[in-house]
Amino acid sequence: MKDKKPVLTRRDFIRGTIGVTLGVSILGFKWPKAEAEAAGSSLVTIVRDQNAMDSSKNVDSTILKKMLEQTLIKVTGQKNSKDAWLSLVKPNDVIGLVSTDHLNPTHDEVVDVVKSSLVDAGIPNDRIRLAQGGPSNPKKCDALIALPALKAHWLTGIGTVLKLYILYSGSPSSYHKGNSSKLGEIWNFPFVKGKTKLVLVDSLYPLCDKGPQPDPRYQWAYKGLIAGTDPVAIETVCLKIITEKRKAIRGEPWPLSPPPICVEAADKVYGLGTSRMEQIKIEHYGWEHELLL
Amino acid sequence: MKVDNINLPKAVGGWTRPEAPRLINSQNIFKYMNGAGELYLGYRFHHLEVFAYSSDGQDNILVELYFMETSDDAFGLLSLDWGGEPVSFGGSPAAPSNKSFTSSTRALYGGGLLRSWSDSIYARIMAERETPASKKAVLALGKAITVNPKNPPEPELVKTLPLEIGSAWKLRKDRLSFFRSHLVLNSIYYLSHENILDLDLSTEAVIAPYEHISNSGDKKRSQFLLVQYENHERARKALNHFHDAYLPEYKKEITADSAANSPSLFKLEDGWLAYKLVGKYIAIVFECPDQESAGRIIQKNESNLLKKKGKS
Repeated sequence: MKDKKPVLTRRDFIRGTIGVTLGVSILGFKWPKAEAEAAGSSLVTIVRDQNAMDSSKNVDSTILKKMLEQTLIKVTGQKNSKDAWLSLVKPNDVIGLVSTDHLNPTHDEVVDVVKSSLVDAGIPNDRIRLAQGGPSNPKKCDALIALPALKAHWLTGIGTVLKLYILYSGSPSSYHKGNSSKLGEIWNFPFVKGKTKLVLVDSLYPLCDKGPQPDPRYQWAYKGLIAGTDPVAIETVCLKIITEKRKAIRGEPWPLSPPPICVEAADKVYGLGTSRMEQIKIEHYGWEHELLL
Repeated sequence: MKVDNINLPKAVGGWTRPEAPRLINSQNIFKYMNGAGELYLGYRFHHLEVFAYSSDGQDNILVELYFMETSDDAFGLLSLDWGGEPVSFGGSPAAPSNKSFTSSTRALYGGGLLRSWSDSIYARIMAERETPASKKAVLALGKAITVNPKNPPEPELVKTLPLEIGSAWKLRKDRLSFFRSHLVLNSIYYLSHENILDLDLSTEAVIAPYEHISNSGDKKRSQFLLVQYENHERARKALNHFHDAYLPEYKKEITADSAANSPSLFKLEDGWLAYKLVGKYIAIVFECPDQESAGRIIQKNESNLLKKKGKS
């Protein structure tokens, strides 16, 4: 009995011992605390426009393009979107756009404006590809632009940023159920690590309940783009928005269940970024209504 | 599964369906809905029939008919979310002896989605875009699915839960769920990613909060879980497993089950936890504000269980 590994339970969340228990029980090593503590402040931008989508959920691509330009400038500190892209990628990079078609798909319009913006920045059209799918996709790319859509998930709590690369593992079932805490591991695979130059979350029409199938009662028009270069910080902000929306819907706390342990693990076990709100600098622009932060 | 064939109309409003449905079984369910398939396989799933109703100039209406092995399983799927607008299709009500709080709710509508429980069928009918016309069509399809005169009662286990514990604690009926799988349990109330209660398709479980609202409006909530196993031995083993995983630092107090024995009580980080083995059942309450309430909630539920056993 004494050699038995501890099981991660609800009590770990209450006690704040997720990292320790995860490290020992699931991942088989101790939490690399020093690496986690080395993380600095991360910028997450939120750009919203009330007119980005009409009441029939049609997306206005002209407005979306402006939102993207503003996002790129704010994330990189460059003066225009061309300079912004060229500070993130090289002109001869093969760039993979990674969207999702699951549960709450990335809007085609988001993928299209990103692609046309890259072309406008001088990236040849034939060097931009759609890169969702198996591990061969990131292997062919020099840079990745992550384009998830904001959504909760019934097996992982949240299914937005960290889960986006699950097919890159070549074995998605290995990252389901209890193993969903290991989703951050995929971002450290040699053919993935360091390639993600921008995470741009389609938060035009998010889904705040976990599904497993979409329920329109839990979707709403947020009309935003959430972006940055720290995937964990962005997921943490997404989580906050979803949590606040759920509370607003029920008029009482309605925690995600199961809790999104993959987010804290991505920080404390895999060192991908920060999940601590106090280390995240949020800058928001545009429409203020129900910002949920 | 004893469901008569469903005769869905060929056309409703301006929408028409294909002749044959797309058939999904446990082998190809993940191809159809990725990880969402785990939900349905967590109940006693038989097969799924999918019809896409299409119309020129209007978005599709998707009809999904989940044929489950028992009506309890179809009830369980609906019970995962009691939100939405209750819809009555005018079917025969449950027999008076079977009536209780959830038995009258057979269909719920919201945002273009109708979910219903009819005998052993759980149905999801969703308009891709909600309009007055699509709502009318969705409700007409819902009615066609629920014409079956059989109106079985909710699971027996659900009916054992007392609606009140003394004058203080009231059952949150709108948060009551019936399930069999630990993945489903975790989507309602997270305990552990491991299956620490040994749940499987042979078990039945119901979870619901009891709520106490004081005169000052202060709200306290405790979560009650009742699991039925195939036999006493399986229940005893499961409770041992739960204790080892959830309460590793506490001495085990699983005594021979008898009404005379008090529940085992533990003061945890989020309040008092109490459990008790009652024959082939395990009753657990979480997050109680005090020891007395934890004990009372377990004992009242135990008393109801014993009454039920006495009747059967």
